[in-house]
This record gives sequence, C-alpha cells and structure tokens, in this order.
Amino acid sequence: MSEHLLSWIVFLPAIGALLCLFVPKRQVRTVALLATVLTLLLSLKLFGTFTGGGGDSSAVFGTRYGQLHHVERATWIQIPGKLNIEYFLGIDGLGFPLFILTTVVSFLACWASWNFHEWKINKGVRAYFVLFLLLETGMLGVFVSLDFFLFYIFWEVMLLPMYFLIGVWGGPRREYAAIKFFLFTLAGSVLMLVALVAMYFYGGAGIEQAGGTIASGYRQGVQLTHGTFDLIELAVNPVIQRHFAAVSTTFLGMKFAPLMFMMLFIGFAIKLPSVPVHTWLPDAHVEAPTPISMILAGVLLKMGGYGFLRLCYPIFPSGGSTWAFFLAVVGVVSILYGALCAMAQSDFKKLVAYSSVSHMGYVLLGIAVMTDVGFQGAMFQMIAHGISSPMCFFLVGVIYERAHHREINRFGGLWLTMPRYGTMATIGFFASLGLPGLCGFIGEVWVVLGTFAAAKNPAMPWAYTMAILASSAVILTAGYILWLIRRVYLGKEREEHEGFPDASRRETWILVPMAVLCIALGVLPQQMVFNFTNGTLNLMLNLVTGAPAMVG
Amino acid sequence: MDGILGEVSLWSGVDVGRELSLFSPMLALSATMLAIVACPLILGRGPRMIATVSVLGVLVTLVLTMQVGRAVAGGGASGLSTTPEAGLLIADNLSVAFLLVLCVFLLGVMLLWWIGSAETERNAPEFFILLIGSALGMALMVSTANLLMIVAAIETASLPSYAIVGFDKRDRKGAEASLKYMVFGAVCAAIMLYGVSLLYGLAGSLSVQDIARYAVAQLGGGENRLLLAAALVCFVAGVAFKISAVPFHFWCPDAFEGAKIEVTTWLSVASKAAGLILLARMVVIFSGAVSSPLAMHILDPLAWAMGIMAAVTCTVGNFAAYRQTSVKRLLAYSSIAHAGYMLMAAAAFLHPASLGAESGLAALIAYVVVYVFMNLGAFGVTAMVAWDTGGDGIENFNGLMRRAPWLAVPMVFCLMSLIGMPIFAGFVAKWWILVALGNVGHTLGWTLTVVLALNTLFSLYFYMRIVVQMTLRDDGRPMVRASSGGIALVNFCGLALLVLFFFADPFKQATDRFSRNLVGPKAAKTATSLLGPSSESSASSR
Repeated sequence: MSEHLLSWIVFLPAIGALLCLFVPKRQVRTVALLATVLTLLLSLKLFGTFTGGGGDSSAVFGTRYGQLHHVERATWIQIPGKLNIEYFLGIDGLGFPLFILTTVVSFLACWASWNFHEWKINKGVRAYFVLFLLLETGMLGVFVSLDFFLFYIFWEVMLLPMYFLIGVWGGPRREYAAIKFFLFTLAGSVLMLVALVAMYFYGGAGIEQAGGTIASGYRQGVQLTHGTFDLIELAVNPVIQRHFAAVSTTFLGMKFAPLMFMMLFIGFAIKLPSVPVHTWLPDAHVEAPTPISMILAGVLLKMGGYGFLRLCYPIFPSGGSTWAFFLAVVGVVSILYGALCAMAQSDFKKLVAYSSVSHMGYVLLGIAVMTDVGFQGAMFQMIAHGISSPMCFFLVGVIYERAHHREINRFGGLWLTMPRYGTMATIGFFASLGLPGLCGFIGEVWVVLGTFAAAKNPAMPWAYTMAILASSAVILTAGYILWLIRRVYLGKEREEHEGFPDASRRETWILVPMAVLCIALGVLPQQMVFNFTNGTLNLMLNLVTGAPAMVG
Repeated sequence: MDGILGEVSLWSGVDVGRELSLFSPMLALSATMLAIVACPLILGRGPRMIATVSVLGVLVTLVLTMQVGRAVAGGGASGLSTTPEAGLLIADNLSVAFLLVLCVFLLGVMLLWWIGSAETERNAPEFFILLIGSALGMALMVSTANLLMIVAAIETASLPSYAIVGFDKRDRKGAEASLKYMVFGAVCAAIMLYGVSLLYGLAGSLSVQDIARYAVAQLGGGENRLLLAAALVCFVAGVAFKISAVPFHFWCPDAFEGAKIEVTTWLSVASKAAGLILLARMVVIFSGAVSSPLAMHILDPLAWAMGIMAAVTCTVGNFAAYRQTSVKRLLAYSSIAHAGYMLMAAAAFLHPASLGAESGLAALIAYVVVYVFMNLGAFGVTAMVAWDTGGDGIENFNGLMRRAPWLAVPMVFCLMSLIGMPIFAGFVAKWWILVALGNVGHTLGWTLTVVLALNTLFSLYFYMRIVVQMTLRDDGRPMVRASSGGIALVNFCGLALLVLFFFADPFKQATDRFSRNLVGPKAAKTATSLLGPSSESSASSR
C-alpha cells in the first residue's frame, strides 16, 4: 500500500462510491462517511514524509524545483516515438497542504450531509453520496497528478458530479446556477485544452530544433525525443523553456509564452474566481446545498490558485512578468469589488460567497507580485480560506435549517438563543475578517508585505499603490463582517427564534475542528503551513525569477 | 483499348478466385438481399423471420470481412484488374475497418428495429432489402478509387436511403422528408456527375490516382487549373451531400425527423461515415500523388478549403441545434457538427505539414467507431422513449432519471461523450483529432484546434438541455416501459464508451493498424519521409 499511497488515497473515495451503489439505502451515508474518514487517515500518513529531514528543508524539498515524493509513473497511452501520456502522480510542498485540506474538508462536508433525510429535497440519497465521492476523487487527483493530460482528466471529472450536486439538491434557482457553473468552468477547460495540445507540440518542436534528443531536466539518465506532458519537465527543462520563451515562437501570430500564460490564467481565474469571471460563484454558492458549498469554497476555489502556481508561473515565467500589472489589478479589483458586494448583500449566504471573491483576490495579488513573501502569503491565504469559508458556509447552513430563510435583517440576538453556535460563529467570522491570532490575518498580511517588497523591483513601480489599496480593503472586510455579526448574533433576542435549538452535537463537532484549525493556523503559521510549503515555493520562485526573460 | 474502363482487360491474367474472395463481404451482402427476396417464397413473410435471415447475412458478412482483414493486413489489393492501380474495387485496411464498423452498426440497427417495429411492420422484406442495399452502397463507397464506381456506389447507397426514409406510405411527414431528401440528393448527384465528367475529360482517366497526378501537375500552374478546380468542387459537392457538410446539409434535419427512428440512427452514422472514409481515401491518394516536397505547397489551399468547410460545418451544426425541441432533430444537427469534427481530421492529413499522414486517418477511424456507440446509444434511448410516450419532443424526457433510470444513465453517458467530456470515449476521439491538428501545426492546425475547442463549449448547452430534462425536472409523468433488449443495447453502448476511454491505448493501436498499408499512398510515404527532415520549416514558422 505504501508504494501506491497516493493512488490509494485518490481512488479510495471512488471505491467507496462503487460500494455505495450496492449497499442498502440506509447504509449509504455510513459507507460514504467511512470512505472519507479512511481517506483522511491515509492522507495523514503523508505528514511523515514532510516532517522528516530533521529541520533540514532541502532534505524534504530538494535543492531544485521538482523534488517529489510518493512518485508513481506508468505509461498510459503511447504512440511509440511520438506521444507518451503517463499516469504520473507525485506530491511536493505545493500539492501537499491542499491535498490534506481536501481530505479534511471532504470529511467534514460528508459529515455535514449526515442529515440528508431531513433535507427539503431528500430523494436519491445513493446518487448524492456516489457523486460526492466521485467529486472527492477528482479533487484529490488534481492536486497530485503531474502529467498535464491526467491533470486535465481529473479537472474535468469534477465538473459533472458538481453540476448534479448543485442542480438536483440545490435551492430554488438550482438549475440556472448549475448550468452557469458548468458553462463557466468548461469555458476555462477548453482554453486549457488548447494549451495542453499546444504545449505538447511546441515542446516537441523545441526538442527537434535542439537536435531531436535531449536530456531530461530533472530525471537522471532519461532522454526526451518528443514533446511531453510532464508538468515538472515542462518547467525545468532548459531546452523546452528556451523554445517557449523565444520571441520567434508564435501561436497564431501571437507570442507563445504570454499567450499560453493568459489562456491558462483565464481558465484558472474562472475557478479562483476573479472579477470579472466570478459571476458563477455567488449563484452556485447560494443555490448549492450546505456541504457542497463547503466543498466549493474550501477546495474548488483553491484549484485556481494551485493552477497558477503549478502551471502558469513555472512553465511560463516570462508570461508572469509580462502580465504582472494586469494580474495585480485584477487581484486588487477582486478584493475591493468582492468586499463592496459583500457589504451590499442582505442574503447571508451571498455575503459569504462575495467575501470569498474578496479573499481569493489576495491570492491572485500575492502571486502576481512574484516575491517570496507574496507567494507564501497566497499559499497561506488559500489554506486559511479553505478552513474559514467552509466554516462560515456551515454556520449559514445551520441557521438556515432552523429559520428556513437567509435574510440577514430578519435575524438578531442569535448568540443569546444559541450560545454554543454563537461562539463558534464568532470564531469563524473573525477568522474570515482577518483578526490577528486567527488564520485569515497571516495570509492577508503576508500578501500585503509581499506586495510592498515587490516595489523594490524596478519593473513593478505600481506595487506600493496596490499594497495600499489591498491593505485598506481590510477596513471594508471588517466593515461587512462586524456589521453582519451585529445584525445576526448581537442585539435583543427575538421571539421568532425562541424555539431554535442550539447547535446539535454533530454540528458542534463539525465546527470544532475548523475552529481549532482557525486558531492554530493563526498562532502557529510556521509550524502549521509554512514549514510544508516554503521549501517548494522558494525553489519555484528561484526558477521563475531566474528564468531568462523573452529572448530573441 | 481506350475505353471508359481504361486499361482494364477483363479477366485475363486475374486470379479470379482470390479477387472474389477479397470482395466476398459485398457479395455476401448482395446474397443476403437475394435471400430476403427468396425467403417469403419459401419460409413466409413473417417480420421476425426476415430479420433473422438478414442478421445471419450480416453475421456472415462480418466473418468474411475479418477474413479479408487478415488477408490485406500487410498491404491492400486493388482488384479485378491486371494493373494494381486501375482496379475498380479496393480491399485494404481502411475498407475493412469501415466494413467491420458497418456490420456491427447494422446489427445494432436491426436489433432496434426488432424491438420497436417488428410487431407492426407489414413490409419487412422490402425494408430489409432497402436497408442492406444502402449498406452495400456504402461498403462499395469505401472500397473504390475509380470515379465510375464512386458514382455508382453513391447512388447505390442513396436510392434505397430515399425510399427507406419515406418507408411508411401513410406517414405524410416521412413522405415529405423522403421527397426533400431525394430532390436534394438528385441535384447533388447531378452536380457530382458534372464534375466527374469534367474530370474524366480533363485527365482522360477514371482512376483517381491518374486524376490526382494530373491535378497535382495542373494546380501547380497548368492552363486548365480553373476548370479543374471547378470540377473538383463539383465532385466534392456530391460527397459533401453524403456527409451533410455545410452548405449541403439542408436535407439532414428534415430527413432525420421524418424517418423512422431506426432509419435515422442508420443514416446518422453510416451514410456520413461512408462519405468521410471515401473522402479520406481521396485525400490519401491526392497527398500520395505529390511526388516532390517542392510541390507540397499545392496541397495547402486544398487543406484550407476542407478546413474551412469543417469549421463552418461544426459551428453551424452546433448553433442550429440550440433551438430544437425535438430530440431527433437536435441529434440530427449534432450529427452535422460531428461531421465537421471528422472533416477536421481529413483536413489535417491533407495539409502538407502533416508528418505521417496516418495520424489524421487513425483519428478519423477512431472517431467513427466512437461515434457509432454514442449515436446508437442516444438514438436508442430516444427511440425507447418515443415508442412508449408517443413522441420525441424534449419534454418527453422529463424526469427520465426516475421514470427509467436504465435509459437515463446511458443517455447521460452518450450525451457527455458527444460533448467530449472525460471519462467517456468521445473525449478520446476528440483528443486524437486535436493531436492530428497539433501535428499539422501552422495557422491551419491551430485555428482548427481553437475552433474545435470552442465548439465543444458551444455544444455543451443543448446537450445539457436533455440532461436537465431527465434529471432536474420532473412533473410526475408515468414510468417508461422499455424492452429488456433495448435496455441491454443502450447500456452496452454506454459501457463501451467507458471502456474505450480507459483502454484508450489498445484502441489507439488498433486504429493505427487500420490506417496503415493502404492502397495508393506509397507515394505519400516517400513524400512524408522527404518532408520529415525538412520539418524545421514547420518548426520555424511556429
């Protein structure tokens, strides 16, 4: 099992889904929960790999980008001498924290689905859990597959389950929200598909120009004779990199690297989501059932950021500097616009959804400035948001189940009615606000610091302005969250809420791990996140900043 | 002997026994038709009896095709002639591949008929004669490189198709569809005949090899090149009619909607596939006729012409499908779009930069195979729903996931595959076309790549409309009853789509094998190898 650890973790939910098809209807949720628990426990084994090395980070993360663990490689589809698609899994500091985040959030979301039989639409319990588990397999696969083709397959595998989970078990406008989600994401996917084909053949053309056979950029004794889908190879191979970055390399008359960067960027920005392609998110979040909102916010949005860090920057570093200003602007606009929209909402869930847009704007800004602190902040922000926003969505779900509406202005005094729930809610929303000592703070501060640091770079004279705008957005965030807490949790107890029971034992135990993580990440950022990510991120940044600019 | 048959000196020096065995599948199909004629005289006109005879005939054809496949695996044969190039009929891997697909598909269509129409059909012998007659025509279409034979084969395929579309005399819609189909077909056939006669007049031969050689010489700057181009366009019009490429697609939705659903299923795949394989063979021969790399550039405009036709065809098909409310009609437009995708593969290997012309051809074969399962499954479910509820309107699919989960699940699989989503074979099929286009590179290849990718996005919405009806909407209609045979058929198709995805590698090897050792492209091989080292020209222009 240990030599195929990643495969086991990735496909364990799929095996669970298969089992769900055959067990009696009453047992389906038990099987599903067991599958997610087992996946979580197995994934915790990975900590052993990343805490080893006795404090020497290069022992774990290597000295160059491309040090992988638990690698599995097998040829999948091959045309000898022409094309080689591999089943290639591996994990490094980039995928690891997000991988763990996925297993944690999936487990909690599955547990949050435990009361499925009490839902308004409680038909098709079997289909629900089967799709849920297939979705988990797709998500886990994305974070560990390092063959672009395989990555694309897992990326697409997530789409259909998500479509049905929103469309069948969602709110009143579920049909619209589901198709909108599908259309937006597929629009990104087809751009990625074009890039997938183009990168393969342009890589092959580069190798051909270099004499037809070149040494692999990171694997000893491996020769390349044709293009590759290996995401690490594409990033570290000097021959391929030179060909990609050459000014004379054009795609339909446009310079290759900036164009490919942009195509991939749009695909991932839709997922992230950034303004102006964020419009699917409020709809999808509002209509999706609570556990699915948790998955959407906790994991799916992170795939956008992961895509930037895994594909866009290492493979097309020159694209990153070409578009840096544009990306930073998009990031800052997302931060401000998301926050302003959140402030204007009267629907509780929509407010949380727009706050996600705002928070993910920090991720984009942190990556766009290409400094080590910025990258680290972006990564941390993804993890922090991956914990705090599922928590917020679950909090909304808990109250929605009792009140059957989400009008912020109709709530009030809930802390008095439901003290345990109110306490948890305060932790969750303060974490989202970015209160020092909670997880949201570190990410935002790191991103802002990274942006200030980028001002030293002569190519980024605008960095100060961006940093000031981004840090001033904290006021907006504090504004809408504090106002929300005042309207919902504080104030006089209301009669209509009298009969509301406090958070049940199950609800409490779903909230507690997230609350604990919110605090732990805020207090021990180094031990909880940075130790696992910085090694790979710094190596990748060296690769990105050390890469030749566009060459003639 | 300068007759219309060129150098064919009948029978002298021909190993008749061997040659007849190479074309035994066609003979078997003809024999099946005769058997169906004889059957009512001996065994009676019972529909199931006739169907059994037909199925047996097709099974025999399948076995014979496999035998031929073994015989020609290492190299094709051009038959019934002493000179290997001038033969009227060809047996090689490409024709065998198509015949195998054709037979399997024919069996599927017959099964569909058995389930839906066997009870009520009073004219079974006539129906099966027409069905197998058109199959024979399609088999001939892919097995020839002779203009006379091409015309005869297309007509053999078309005439029974016209009749079978309007088979139910009392159905006014079917009669109208049949008439439209026939009028359109007749015009296209006339245009093609005009082109063919011009080509014969110009080149002085009916062999496509000779014409290709002549055309290559002329297009490089000969005095007849305008006339020749006009003749080629006229000829392609006839083939494009069979493929239903835009702008020769107008018959398609009407004929598909008016015909019985088994017939629609049949025409949607077989007639298009036959036309595409025929076109592919022409392309192989044309690119093979270019003997020097210097002359390769004359293929460029031809590739562009075909590429533009492909791009327009799939875009028009996808957008026209948006407004449809009948699933049959929607699938008709979808089949136009898919013909466009397949044409892209043809355009890819017509392009001079296509290193190793097989990749486009193999992609085409793979697409046809996958398309058989996608369409048989989708039309099968539509048929089952239409027979039980009395219509194929999209509203009849309402709540199908509850009313008949064993129909709805394979339908979702087939529709996802038609969109081109992983984990279904439709993605693999599209993927190989994308690889073929990427192989071409240049402006043409990448433009078509982008067009294909965007069309995937365009097509999402109308396929999803059916999925939405089946899964998200439910106004409490009664359960759908479907026969177990039909359920088995559509689930088999759905399963096949999954299997072909996960076993993409062996599937690719098989299609590669069927795209090699063809009759004609010997010159193409040399042209390719000449082009191989000079590929820096393609790399530098990237």
